[in-house]
Amino acid sequence: MAYDLSFAQDVYKNSEMGHWIKMCKQCGVCAGSCPLGPHWEYSPRQLFQLVRGGKKEEVLKSSSMWMCTSCYNCIVRCPRGLPITHIVHGLARYASVKGYADPDQVTNRFATKIFWGNIVSTGRVGEALLTMRLYFVDGLASGIKRGLEMKDSALGMLMTKRLNPIPIRGKIKGYAGFTAMIAKAQELEAKREAGA
Amino acid sequence: MADDQAAGRTILVVGGGISGLTAAVEAAEVGYTVLLVEKEPQLGGRVSQHFQYFPKLCSPSCGLEINYQRIKNNPRIRVLTLAEVEAIIGQEGDFTVRIRQHPRFVTEKCTACGECGKACTALVSNPFNFGMDQVKAIRNSHAMAYPNWYFMDADYAASAEARSLPCPVGAIDPDMTATVLEEKVGSIVWATGWQPYDAEKIHPYGFGRHANVSTNMRFERLANSYGPTAGRLLRPSDGKEVKKIAFIQCAGSRDHNHLPFCSRVCCLASMKQATYVREQYPDAQITIYYIDLRAMDRYEGFQKKVETDPGITWIKSKPARIDEDPVSKDPIVIGENTLTGIRYADSYDLVVLATGMEPTSATTARVPGNNAAYDEYGFVVKGGQVLSSGCAAAPLDVAGAVQASTAVALKAIQAAAKRG
Amino acid sequence: MEAKKIGCYICTGCGIAEALNVAALEKIASKEQKLPVARTHGFLCGAEGLQMIRDDIANEGVNALLIAACSHRVKTDEFERFGTPLLDRVDLRDKALWVQDISAGKEAKEDLQMMAADYLRMGSVKLKKMNAPDPFQDEGFSRDVLVVGGGIAGLTAAKEVAATGYRAIVVEKSPALGGMVARMHKVSPTLPPYRVLEENPIQGLIAAVQGESRIKVYTNATIQSTKGAPGLFDVEIKNGDTVSTERVGSIILTTGYNLYDASKLDARLGYGVSPDVVTSLEFEEMAKAGQLVRKSDGKPAKRVLFSLCAGQRDANHLEYCSGACCTYSLKQALYVLEQQQDGAAFMLFQEMRTPGQMEEFYRRVQEEGGVIIKGDVEQVGKGASGGLSVQITDKLLRGKETLEVDLLVLATGMISTVDTQDPNKPSPVGQVAEETAKSVLNLEYRQGRSMPELKWGFPDSHFICFPYETRRTGIYAAGPARRPMGIAETVTDATGAALKAIQVVEAVAKGAAVHPRSGDLSYPSFRREGCTQCKRCTEECPFGAINEDDKGNPLFNPTRCRRCGTCMGACPQKIISFANYSVDMIGSMIKEVEVPPADDEKPRILIFACVNDAIPALDMVGQKRGALSPYVRIIPLRCMGSMNLVWIADAMSSGFDGIMLMGCRHGDDYQCHNVRGSALAEIRLSKVSETLNRLQLESSRVKMVEINIMDADQLPTIINEFAEQIGSMDLNPYKEF
Repeated sequence: MAYDLSFAQDVYKNSEMGHWIKMCKQCGVCAGSCPLGPHWEYSPRQLFQLVRGGKKEEVLKSSSMWMCTSCYNCIVRCPRGLPITHIVHGLARYASVKGYADPDQVTNRFATKIFWGNIVSTGRVGEALLTMRLYFVDGLASGIKRGLEMKDSALGMLMTKRLNPIPIRGKIKGYAGFTAMIAKAQELEAKREAGA
Repeated sequence: MADDQAAGRTILVVGGGISGLTAAVEAAEVGYTVLLVEKEPQLGGRVSQHFQYFPKLCSPSCGLEINYQRIKNNPRIRVLTLAEVEAIIGQEGDFTVRIRQHPRFVTEKCTACGECGKACTALVSNPFNFGMDQVKAIRNSHAMAYPNWYFMDADYAASAEARSLPCPVGAIDPDMTATVLEEKVGSIVWATGWQPYDAEKIHPYGFGRHANVSTNMRFERLANSYGPTAGRLLRPSDGKEVKKIAFIQCAGSRDHNHLPFCSRVCCLASMKQATYVREQYPDAQITIYYIDLRAMDRYEGFQKKVETDPGITWIKSKPARIDEDPVSKDPIVIGENTLTGIRYADSYDLVVLATGMEPTSATTARVPGNNAAYDEYGFVVKGGQVLSSGCAAAPLDVAGAVQASTAVALKAIQAAAKRG
Repeated sequence: MEAKKIGCYICTGCGIAEALNVAALEKIASKEQKLPVARTHGFLCGAEGLQMIRDDIANEGVNALLIAACSHRVKTDEFERFGTPLLDRVDLRDKALWVQDISAGKEAKEDLQMMAADYLRMGSVKLKKMNAPDPFQDEGFSRDVLVVGGGIAGLTAAKEVAATGYRAIVVEKSPALGGMVARMHKVSPTLPPYRVLEENPIQGLIAAVQGESRIKVYTNATIQSTKGAPGLFDVEIKNGDTVSTERVGSIILTTGYNLYDASKLDARLGYGVSPDVVTSLEFEEMAKAGQLVRKSDGKPAKRVLFSLCAGQRDANHLEYCSGACCTYSLKQALYVLEQQQDGAAFMLFQEMRTPGQMEEFYRRVQEEGGVIIKGDVEQVGKGASGGLSVQITDKLLRGKETLEVDLLVLATGMISTVDTQDPNKPSPVGQVAEETAKSVLNLEYRQGRSMPELKWGFPDSHFICFPYETRRTGIYAAGPARRPMGIAETVTDATGAALKAIQVVEAVAKGAAVHPRSGDLSYPSFRREGCTQCKRCTEECPFGAINEDDKGNPLFNPTRCRRCGTCMGACPQKIISFANYSVDMIGSMIKEVEVPPADDEKPRILIFACVNDAIPALDMVGQKRGALSPYVRIIPLRCMGSMNLVWIADAMSSGFDGIMLMGCRHGDDYQCHNVRGSALAEIRLSKVSETLNRLQLESSRVKMVEINIMDADQLPTIINEFAEQIGSMDLNPYKEF
């Protein structure tokens, strides 16, 4: 039912900075400011009105909030001071946790699988491996193509010792502590999401 | 019957714009003595910079003229210009105020004959026109200025030329110094009005960087027949006629990064300025970008009238930023139309930012001592020793300022009657 | 009365000595006009010049001053403080020297000399015909203020009147004081930080008024009739079978508002479909009673939809906006959000109008969870589980949505409770509520029992700079009776009206006028013997100042008068005059101009200019050194309404070739300070062309223009083109006579 506030209230409570969604006055500055704007299905302010409008499916299935590159243009300009970048990331996370997010959506895939997998397996970002995984995510041919497109940048970074071509496999020293922290955080989060 | 003792007490009105003028004449016409103190060399304040008022599209000079007549006819009103209140001691019913009168460098003998102005070769940036043109260093601030009495810029007064200016009545006195007066008054009305919010602070809109991004007050001066372009609406970069224009509402208003409050008049002011454009360029394209159109109560009639103009496009959107075409210098307004969801990048000849009113009581015209109560925006509110009205107290349109100032005149009369 | 002794003082400063033959002017003053004292000074407004005048007043018995110098608008502190009521300013500078280019040659200088001479002549004659007004006094003047309507506006006005030391009489038609606000729960914030609802001040205000000895209250009372004039209003107050009479000095009309009849709203808004569709006032009363429940079944009202602008901003209902509804609907949303467990409030708006510091209140309501929706109600039906199912167009979600709510609150608009000019005519909004069909004051005014209205049934005169003006002197409307407004603004409005009400009684006590000729002591008198009872003065007076006696003659009420002279201009018999302003005075001035013979080929153009906008504009032409035709002669008038057509005949028979009337703008967005003066002049002028044609004079010789005070740059063109046009015609054949 339109404007059934149960979805909105859950978002206000359980999504990062979600309660700020109440404050949007629909001016559109965020939408106009976003450099990825043309690629969003719904602009930030549309997402907020959809949340308030009870449009759970539209919001959570949308790829929009996955587009945010954290440029912060929106936060800086929002006249109500909404922390839009964080709200949007929060909605993405919320969609993911609730099982609505499309696993093949590019950013989702990168964030929740490739990036996460990379960090969690060693306790740090292994850049070369991360890059390779990202490049080859759609298959060999596209991976090679991407690599070739980026070869000048890669070469430059190698020459200035900013890229270690050897993929790091080893874990960090405190790996056990690290996994314990992750496990604890996940436990707390699960509790919170269960509505404790 | 009014308390006879109160009739002897003076009411001090600080600020000679429409609010201060109203408070002063209304109180004086009830029979009270009023001291009106204005920091500029001449009265009239912000409204004297306007071309027309909404909704009647009439000249501010008309009402100002009647108010000046009322002052001229009323020996109970004493006017001090180039004057500021430095100190306030005491309480309602019994204040002592210290007023500093800055030197005018021209005495009351002045007949505004203009001989000195003809001989003066020094030009200064004209503050009355927001620096859009230059004026002589000795002058009246505008054609209908009152008191009709020239003044000299302080910097110029030190020059050799200032000493040798011709004056048939010997009114020029470059050695004039400031004077300090002490006055006893019964009540104080703080009516120091507003200044336009500094549009340069609204960085994404490019005021100050893009030549053809202007502000509502600057545009008002352009439109004014006694303004820097004699009323012709021409854009700053190349003097081109403004045939395609955008107004951006809430520029730096309703915005926690700038002025969090709403200035009330800007929507109507832009609608009014749209009529200026239409009057001058019958085929001009006009766009108004807004969040909420605030044509309050009976002013809705004015909005309806302006809406009948088919050449005005109304877009519900707060633009994200303004870019500039490097060759044509056309400003390009970028944002999202919230009713269609469509992103736009529209170019114009000129963009007018409808910036808001910042009360001077928040910045340059603080009430001396601990005598005022302020709200979070710097407006002077109830609870202090001084009364306030007009835009020093809240964002108001002219009729609202006059209404509030008429009311405050009564409160000032009542306060003056209080025993010290 | 002591004999008039005129002193003429010609200033030769500001270039006058260089441009004019001052000796010749002095001769005109003393020899031609026979003024007993005529002097010149090089710097008349300086200390020495002024002392010269003072000395003449003290030693020579001069008691009337003719100051030939600059415009009457300047140097007033210098020239208007001698204590002589008889003073005329002849403008040799701003409207003469400064608008003539004498560098053009000898002829230009001669023309300027003729102009200066004519102005001096006109000024002399004017001063000779001028008498010091004797202020109107009456022993029965009251300084009490009548307040009609005992709601928050009336109570505030009464309280403020009393707090200033005056007495107030409140007349309230219902049994109790408090009006609409007494039915309300809380009020929107007025104090920083503008986030918190405030306690309703009405009970405190009622108690204050009831406890104030200077305030007398009548309840269950209406005004049966209002006779008289400011200072002298005799008001009959009817309370059941009792009629009391009160003498008051001024009246404040604070009858508040009615709400637009919700049953007349568009069917789509659903009023009447279910008892769960209520108006804002009904909802307010529910909140006040602690009854936020569905009216249909008593279940708690948790989800409430507020539909703003109901029947407002709508050509089919109320065209205007009531200003306060966005803010008070937010207030009501807060009732729901603060008082209800799991309360939800939806603001269905077109434009969210929370100006000024109320922006913060808007933020607060959103913080509490109020949801904003831009859109309209399309259809209202009963909800599946009680309550309502409301279909809306949602402009932000871009589609139609259906909301299930417990209540739908319609913010309807405020309409005037003050009578329209014709109580039997339906009000402009197409509905006549019972209360508005009768007059509130029942004025015993020849022009009608009701308060004149301008727009939408409100008595507001629509002056931006003078918002309290109505067309009835001494009667001020305040609060929503004047125009739609909210509570906070009403308190301010009523306080301002209290000031105006006190101001007028003080002015009346001195015999003085109020706006726009504040302080003017003159008032019209009329020569009864000449009256033909044509009623033009009575009907044309913009302020209804003239009644009728039992013989049908006009009965002037000096304290109602604004001294504009419209009556004087209207009278075809020329029997109305002021002590210092009359038909004869202006006529004599016209005849005193020395019109050159036809052979000289110098036409003469007479310009009647209103002192409010036209004269200042002409002064600005001078300030900017614009060039006017040397053939013009300017006569200032108090108002174009005082233009008497006989002056056209006078001008024509004196040999003037063209006549121009410069008045202020009239029409819907009028500027005329006397509301109708300028418009009347235009109407009268349309009748004069017939007369002119009969005299074999072209009617195009007479022209009226509407002048804006800022028209200084256009005036030279307007005037000079007219002068050229006149110049190209044959000169006035009556010149030689």
